[in-house]
Amino acid sequence: MKGKTLLIRLAVIAVILILSAILFFVGKSHTVLVDNKAVTVDGKEIAALKLVEVAVNKQASWELTPRDRDKFDVTGQKHTVTVAYTDEWWEEHTIVRTFTVPLMQDMVMILVPALVANPESDQSVWLENYEIPSYAVTMAESDEVVVTDDMAGLITDL
Amino acid sequence: MNGAAALALGRRFVRSFGLPRIIIALFLLSLFILAPIAGVNVGTSLSDTLNRFGMNAIMVLAMVPMIHSGCGLNFGLPLGIIAGLLGATISLQVNIPGPTSFYLAILFCTPFALILGWGYGELLNRVKGGEMMIATYVGFSSVAFMCIMWLLLPFSNPTMVWGFSGTGLRTTISVEGYYLHALNNLLAIRLTPHLVIPTGMLLFFAFFAFIIWAFLHTKTGTAMTAVGSNPIFARASGINVDRIRTLSVVMSTWLGAVGILVYQQSFGFIQLYMGPFYMALPAVSAILIGGASVNKASILNVIVGTFLFQGIVTMTPSVMNSMIHTDMSEVIRIVVSNGMILYALTRKTEAVR
Amino acid sequence: MTLKATKGQRVLRFMANNTVPILFLIICAFGIPLSGYSANYLISEIIVRLVRNSFLIVSLLIPILAGMGLNFGMTLGAMAGQVGLIFISDWGIVGIPGMVLAMVISTPISMLLGWWCGKILNMAKGREMVTSYIIGFFMNGIYQLVVLYGMGPVIPIRNKALVLPRGYGIRNTVNLIGIRKALDNLIAVRIGTVPIPVATFVLIALLCLFVLWFKKTKLGQDMRAVGQDMEVARAAGIPVEHTRIVSIIISTVFAGYGMIIYLQNIGTLNTYNSHMQIGMFSVAALLVGGATVAKANIRNVFLGVILFHLMFIVSPMAGKNLIGQAQLGEYFRVFVSYGVITISLVLYEMRKKREQALAGLTLAAAQEVEA
Repeated sequence: MKGKTLLIRLAVIAVILILSAILFFVGKSHTVLVDNKAVTVDGKEIAALKLVEVAVNKQASWELTPRDRDKFDVTGQKHTVTVAYTDEWWEEHTIVRTFTVPLMQDMVMILVPALVANPESDQSVWLENYEIPSYAVTMAESDEVVVTDDMAGLITDL
Repeated sequence: MNGAAALALGRRFVRSFGLPRIIIALFLLSLFILAPIAGVNVGTSLSDTLNRFGMNAIMVLAMVPMIHSGCGLNFGLPLGIIAGLLGATISLQVNIPGPTSFYLAILFCTPFALILGWGYGELLNRVKGGEMMIATYVGFSSVAFMCIMWLLLPFSNPTMVWGFSGTGLRTTISVEGYYLHALNNLLAIRLTPHLVIPTGMLLFFAFFAFIIWAFLHTKTGTAMTAVGSNPIFARASGINVDRIRTLSVVMSTWLGAVGILVYQQSFGFIQLYMGPFYMALPAVSAILIGGASVNKASILNVIVGTFLFQGIVTMTPSVMNSMIHTDMSEVIRIVVSNGMILYALTRKTEAVR
Repeated sequence: MTLKATKGQRVLRFMANNTVPILFLIICAFGIPLSGYSANYLISEIIVRLVRNSFLIVSLLIPILAGMGLNFGMTLGAMAGQVGLIFISDWGIVGIPGMVLAMVISTPISMLLGWWCGKILNMAKGREMVTSYIIGFFMNGIYQLVVLYGMGPVIPIRNKALVLPRGYGIRNTVNLIGIRKALDNLIAVRIGTVPIPVATFVLIALLCLFVLWFKKTKLGQDMRAVGQDMEVARAAGIPVEHTRIVSIIISTVFAGYGMIIYLQNIGTLNTYNSHMQIGMFSVAALLVGGATVAKANIRNVFLGVILFHLMFIVSPMAGKNLIGQAQLGEYFRVFVSYGVITISLVLYEMRKKREQALAGLTLAAAQEVEA
């Protein structure tokens, strides 16, 4: 009897742990930047596209002109990117690819010209990890006074 | 043999003094030892501690009568403080400069303390057994009520009211020119440039402590103790329990009122509005640190407790800051003072009410 | 002789038993026209307050059932909930998964704190309320130790935006943009211009159902027995101490969830004071709804939220229109919140004393008859 209770409890704890792991994977937010500027892949320079429409998952798409960059906020690791563009012969092309964001990576960047040039290639060719430049983080360096006043809340709104 | 005896003696000492108190005392002692190493001036620290002792001791003393009569810890101290604030503001309104205003303030606060204390005592008589929680909320609601009053009361002294509107009292009022350091400077002894003994303030406290001590040895005083330790026996021996309890509450309230005036004359400011809100907790924990329990307290508890508590409050920020460059004193103060109250509340007390 | 009370007597008794709600109705009746707010605005505000606060207040019900009074120790649960929210903000988990994960994180912390709080309260029988109130303050110190000094050097925090510039400790405010209104907007319906967050209401309803069901379980019945008379319950073989601890644990865990729901609605976390005010306001609202220290039900919760927050919303504006100072109204509502708690506590103690005296008299009369 006692062993059984223990077993059930352990099982419940295990289920909760698995659940939280799943929540972690599902709920982790990432920012996907889409960038349309000239890139160099394997020593070959690829020019930016004149006009390209990019969408991640089912979100509203962005139109990018050369040197444009925009972002999509997504949760979870697996996503699809849809790129629609018109080539120099006025033919419309649409590329749909899925990609995986590393779990703890907050930001990734899709290099649209690289993807358009190598639509079949591995995601590492056109997807790179992106770190926020340090000047953006350390902007507010002024010291912050911590208010631990218990009464502050009594007067302010709820 | 000798060692065993010493151990037994030590154990008895620990039991009678209480483990938390010993820890706190050792902590304070280590702070004083560390102070010179950390580059903190011991003289300044000691005189700060003495100063704060004088500022707070009477408010801690205000706990004694109510504990004696079995009303528990006076979490309703803000009520007394409000009486004191009324005395202070009226004294400033009368506008007599100099230390005289201090004694005037005591005079003016007395009727308020008596009336409020009487009402408060009558209320507590109706809720025997639940005094502490109700006391807390009586304190809080009276502070909130007075917040409204400070805005509306017709004070007009320009040092007190808001400059731009001409009505409503300021949140902090300077007592400079009135009773700033009225007691601090009285008979103050300057031993070294850093070490000043505020003799006047200490004597003032000693005077009140003696009065309370003497009172507790009068017939009424012993009756009060009897009411606190065994109300049924006290009633049986012909003591009017409710009257004694009301008397103790009135005394506590009045001492609270005088206590805040002493605090102000040293601090330099009258703090209105939400100022008195949490004033009860430091006083409560101070007397408990000094060795009092929920239904037992002596003058010695007041002295020891106030010294230990104020010592820690003064010493931790300076020593901590120069040792590890972080000011954790606030956290330590919260944990120590509330931990002490918790410890006292969870002790088994003889008179189970 | 007078088994049937007259109509007048019944009205009087009703008034006596509902002093506080009636008082509040009167205050609101004066305040609403003075404030000049439209009915539409007030209704939508009240719905927002119901969403925010109901769950927190329901968490107070179970300790009352167990006779432990108003659990001011619910701030412990609120702290646990906030710790959960800090972690998910740090890891960047958003939306409903983020909220659920915060709840999962808060649960063991709440359970531990609740267990400890229950242990202490068992050592302070007869003065549970004041003790739980001080426990809240004490834990606030520990919370500050952990969040203000421990987070950064001891507990790793990835996100630099959360940490104070000095390198350790969490900032004063944490932006909960990731889970802001995640639950409220899950199923949002509009009636007229008033948005109704259905999902949150469903969750609150589920909790209410749980409480109703729980009262009927063996454990719930045990708690009621313990609440009525500890000694009798002990004689009946109920593990009194254990039952009391469980009631506090349940309350603390729910308070943690309630805090997460409260903060997802607000959208920002005031790291060092969100939790301290919540206990006071929840207790006040419950008492305004007509609950006492010994008796509270779900009706009290909702009535309390509506009346209390109506007063809270209208009083600054009413103060401004009446005297010309909004500040006056703000102080007034603080005064009323504390005043209500005071009056309820006093009325409860007086009623208890009267009942004890009555019981004593009956006992004496019975003994006299026997003799």
